[in-house]
Amino acid sequence: MSNKTIGQEFIKGLWDENPVFRQLLGLCPTLAVTGAVINGLAMGLATTFVLIFSSLVVSSIKKLIPSQVRIASYIVIIATFVTVADRFLAAFFPPISKSLGPYVPLIVVNCIILGRQEAYSSKNTVGRSLIDALGMSTGFVLALLILSSIREILGAGTFFGYQVMGAWFKPWIIMILPPGAFITLGILLALALHIERRTKSRK
Amino acid sequence: MKLSARMVVVLTSIGLLSGSFLATVGHLTKERIALNKQREIEEAIIQVVPGTASSQKLYEERDLSVYGGKDEEGNIIGFAIHASGIGFQDKITLMLGTNTSLERTNRLAILDQKETPGLGAKITDAESFLKYWENRDCSGVISLRKPVVRSAEELLPSEINTITGATISSEAVLSIVNRSLEYTRRLIKEGKLSREAQDVK
Amino acid sequence: MELVAIFISAILINNFVLYYFLGICPFLGVSKKIDSALSMGLAVTFVMTITAVVSWAINHWILIPHELDYLKIVSFILVIASLVQFVEMFIRKISPPLYQALGIYLPLITTNCAIMGLALLAALRDYGFAEAVIFGFSSGLGFTLAIIIMAGIREQLDLADVPEPLKGAAIALIVAGIMALAFMGFVGMIK
Repeated sequence: MSNKTIGQEFIKGLWDENPVFRQLLGLCPTLAVTGAVINGLAMGLATTFVLIFSSLVVSSIKKLIPSQVRIASYIVIIATFVTVADRFLAAFFPPISKSLGPYVPLIVVNCIILGRQEAYSSKNTVGRSLIDALGMSTGFVLALLILSSIREILGAGTFFGYQVMGAWFKPWIIMILPPGAFITLGILLALALHIERRTKSRK
Repeated sequence: MKLSARMVVVLTSIGLLSGSFLATVGHLTKERIALNKQREIEEAIIQVVPGTASSQKLYEERDLSVYGGKDEEGNIIGFAIHASGIGFQDKITLMLGTNTSLERTNRLAILDQKETPGLGAKITDAESFLKYWENRDCSGVISLRKPVVRSAEELLPSEINTITGATISSEAVLSIVNRSLEYTRRLIKEGKLSREAQDVK
Repeated sequence: MELVAIFISAILINNFVLYYFLGICPFLGVSKKIDSALSMGLAVTFVMTITAVVSWAINHWILIPHELDYLKIVSFILVIASLVQFVEMFIRKISPPLYQALGIYLPLITTNCAIMGLALLAALRDYGFAEAVIFGFSSGLGFTLAIIIMAGIREQLDLADVPEPLKGAAIALIVAGIMALAFMGFVGMIK
């Protein structure tokens, strides 16, 4: 049972236990769809939907599931909501569904979601699980936004499709391509670790 | 309840609940998704066969489909060839509009591509690439004009202009087009392309 | 010819790790030593090839004929999870030393995006049976290639003086970026 306050449950997902920068989870979509801010945002929201509803369901029925079949149960529950998200996007936002491609179905193997069910929702109340899911999701969306902003602004000179860099700027196309994704994330991770160590040594 | 029985009950219930929930969601979204796909094709056909009021699928295969663009009376006024092939790094999907004898191109539209942004991706740009595809002689093989020329007038009727710095992407598009034209001609010869008005979408 | 194109593409041009960003977790986690990287790579290749076959069968014999497309994600992931269980039990029976070597890596393969990604991509591209099998096998080889190269580089990096914040995942990602850059040289090999 967790003894943090509600506020702390939420905030931890933003930095201390940020799924991408601190836990190194969910890196596949983080690298794949952050070439443009709109894609990063869409992926973040889709993952948020899946995480929140999966956590709600899992923490509601946690007492009913025998431990031996819990992983299989979580997987089915998660896969169900992922399918809903995927169908919803394909039906109502086809261009986004097209850009995100197979990465929306791949939310089902995003370690963040299964990880939270195992580590938290299966052991906490529905209310707390919701807050935890919201915190983790927000942390994930923030990570996606940071990475995709850097990649889109430097790689295409735009933000959310709008031109933000003047004509003098020659876009660093590499930022939109795979190498740019890897290197940017690597640098951000190093930065996160560095900031963490500096704040720790000050305490 | 014995543990193993409980495990089976829990898993089966979750499975059934999930299955029925998804069946509902699947049903609610099925039409919309099919409609979106259809609309994308129809809009492309209208774009490459000007004057199209409705369209008809004449042939379908995995990487190549042929549609007929029809006017208001239902006469086929042009073909729209929907083809995919390999580009510089990933798949390119395009739609080529031609006249009814497959001898002159109307327009070319690139539907899907993952070419290098700023270079190969220019194949979707009218100014750099697509405008050179209008009204080309495609009764034989279309070829690439190298080095790049400044205006469309300088091109021979069966030539198209390369994109500076994106030769491979330009060649990829060309190769997809030439291959699909040849294949379509063969289909017509073998009678596999029904020219009759049969509204099958 | 098409099959050869799929084979080369999957390994060099559209490498699962360096182009599709699939399998990053094991790629970062298990690439510290060459022999564990090799074991992981082979295990993944094995599971991927079988997954390609089974997911093709499910898609073409059950899902498509009955218009159950919306069950694709659920059925694929369940199949993969069970497959990995069976492979684990199978290896444990057939070759205990091999089981010892692969040990904890096997269960990790379930949440490996590469396996699910493979099943989804093969279904998305509407591959026939032979194409799906080649795709599965060569994607696994591509993953193995990437992870071995990474392990080789990291073994050398261990001897170098890496600044603290960069140690571990960060430097691995930057190296992956350089590898991705190098692999981009293979682009355009297939016309």
